[in-house]
Amino acid sequence: MRPRRYFTRWQNLLALLLLAAYAGMAIAAPVLAPPEDGSGETPFQRVSDVKDYKPQPPSSEAWLGTVATSVRNQHLDVFYTLVWGARGAFQFGLTAALGAALLGMLIGGLGAFFSGWMQSLILRITDAFLAFPLIVGVALFNQLYLIAMRISSVQTIVIDGVSQTSGPPLPLEFFFSRFNPIWLALVLFSWMPTARLVNSLVMTVRNVDYVIAAQATGVRWLRILLRHILPNTIAPIIVLTTANIGGMVLVQATLTFIGLGGESAWGSILAQGRHWIIGSGGNPLMYWWVFVPVTLALVIFGIAWNLLGDGLNDWLNPRKINYAQF
Amino acid sequence: MADYLRYLLGRFMVIPVTLLIITAVLYGFVMLTPPEVRAELYMPNSQRVMTPERYQNMIAIRIKMYHLNDPYPIQYALWLKSLVQGQWGYSPTLREEVLPSLLRRTPVTLELTLYTMLFFIPLGLLFGGWAAWQQRHPPDRAFRLVAFTATSLPMFITALVLLAVFYVALHWFPPERLSISSSQVLYSDSWRVYTGLVTVDGLLNRRLDITLDGLRHLVLPVLTLSMAHWATLGRITRALMIEELQKEYIVAAKARGVPTRGLVWGHAFRNTTAPALASSALSAASLFTGVIVVEIIFGFKGVSELLLSVSGTADAAPVLGFGVYSVLVVLLIMFGLDVAQGLLDPRLREQREIHAAA
Repeated sequence: MRPRRYFTRWQNLLALLLLAAYAGMAIAAPVLAPPEDGSGETPFQRVSDVKDYKPQPPSSEAWLGTVATSVRNQHLDVFYTLVWGARGAFQFGLTAALGAALLGMLIGGLGAFFSGWMQSLILRITDAFLAFPLIVGVALFNQLYLIAMRISSVQTIVIDGVSQTSGPPLPLEFFFSRFNPIWLALVLFSWMPTARLVNSLVMTVRNVDYVIAAQATGVRWLRILLRHILPNTIAPIIVLTTANIGGMVLVQATLTFIGLGGESAWGSILAQGRHWIIGSGGNPLMYWWVFVPVTLALVIFGIAWNLLGDGLNDWLNPRKINYAQF
Repeated sequence: MADYLRYLLGRFMVIPVTLLIITAVLYGFVMLTPPEVRAELYMPNSQRVMTPERYQNMIAIRIKMYHLNDPYPIQYALWLKSLVQGQWGYSPTLREEVLPSLLRRTPVTLELTLYTMLFFIPLGLLFGGWAAWQQRHPPDRAFRLVAFTATSLPMFITALVLLAVFYVALHWFPPERLSISSSQVLYSDSWRVYTGLVTVDGLLNRRLDITLDGLRHLVLPVLTLSMAHWATLGRITRALMIEELQKEYIVAAKARGVPTRGLVWGHAFRNTTAPALASSALSAASLFTGVIVVEIIFGFKGVSELLLSVSGTADAAPVLGFGVYSVLVVLLIMFGLDVAQGLLDPRLREQREIHAAA
């Protein structure tokens, strides 16, 4: 594992450069696109008093133009969302991919820890989850979220301006007051490849001579796990997780775009502007600023993570395990 | 033949096992809700407006009837029983029973899925094999670049780009399932429904124009879906094929002067197709998710309509029904691919004997 070899490939350098640019954009968001009305909470900047329902072309006020909202005379600043959306993308992609990786490691590791029927049960469950389409998980969690909201609105009584809940919170409310339903769905229904990978890796490493030797000399199992098994399995997991980060953000944007929730800023501004692509009559590039910059931002974000994952794979996975088979 | 049937039976048994696990998990999530919500899953088909007292009363009856305050296994068993009996609940939002409303929309989704699979699987296998044959030559480089880009593009962006070019600019392929004039034919008396698939029914009704119109509307969605899956399958096939081409029997045949073309397509490719299809079967769930996304973007009124219409309201029965339905669909797709694999690869059929010999 010589780092120098990693930096000789232009693909790897490009990936690092692109991700550094996105990270810079996310960090410097308050400088690049200072929030005007002091809200600063959402990645959207309203531009009021536009006397036109059409998207406004780039100007000194809005660098990448605006897109109309459903509110009369109110537009959204495209550049603002482009910049602030990077923050949300990093946050969502990293946490969701990491969550799925940890869950997958836990379940895959458990499967390898047990042997016999317990192991085959865990593997069976993992395979069963593979037949579960992500979109069903998303719909299910959206539904549970709505139900949780309905229950808490019934339970909450407002007395003198202070809301009081009757009775202890249900597990459902507890869950959804802390986690976003889309995030939960993505984590709970995309851990399977990691689990399968971890399971097969650990099964291989477990029977290697030095592990058996360590066991025979009486090394404690925790030490074997941390010293011998983990270092030999972590690299492929890192590769798989890295490639997942971009994918998570793309899925989130897709869900937001088709109106199934999620809080992807990029996806939501594309959904706002979709009629100006399809409905522009003859020239799809007439209102290019509505979708070209954000689309590129999203696609390049995905490509950068994929490139990084591919590069890491060449570097850290000399045995060339084919992850697509997990 | 007997081996093949035994293999198929083994693969088929995966379906009930997986369904049991998934429904158990689904009902586990449902258990997080209070009994009053669970009772809604069993509410009858009623269009009448009920007084709140009467509604509360009906909920209470159902909680008692379906043991909704009892432990999980009892509730799950009762729910499973009603699923098997075809009682998937009633949706107040759709004003319809869940199962019939899913089945009614199935042909639209089925048509899209079938054409996509018929399109991307042969192309993915061929391109992957070709790229492996031409490894490190321009065709391989081009394939890798295109495949990488295609896997990095989210489906809705592919869809938007295709719509912008082929619909807005060129007017070639419009969105939605049929043109207005064609869908009017579907509601006329002379139209007989055989399969529900417009392209097939058009032929059976001797209305070639309807079939062509259906195909014209299918081009963009099928292309959108195929792009991503073609690229994934192609990359896997390429990797497997490169591995296969390094095997000793190929090297030996090459050394004896057997023409490479025949080796690649006649021997190596045949041995690669089955494992490539196996990895395709693993992504059947993501194919289904893609079908739903594409249906929504292109305005096809398939089973995705269920999801969209209840997406803002708390209405659990259709979502749960949709969940069971889609797992069933995914499992059937997987089984179909298993059947194809067995046909392509005699090794899979004879596994039992190999094990016995070993």
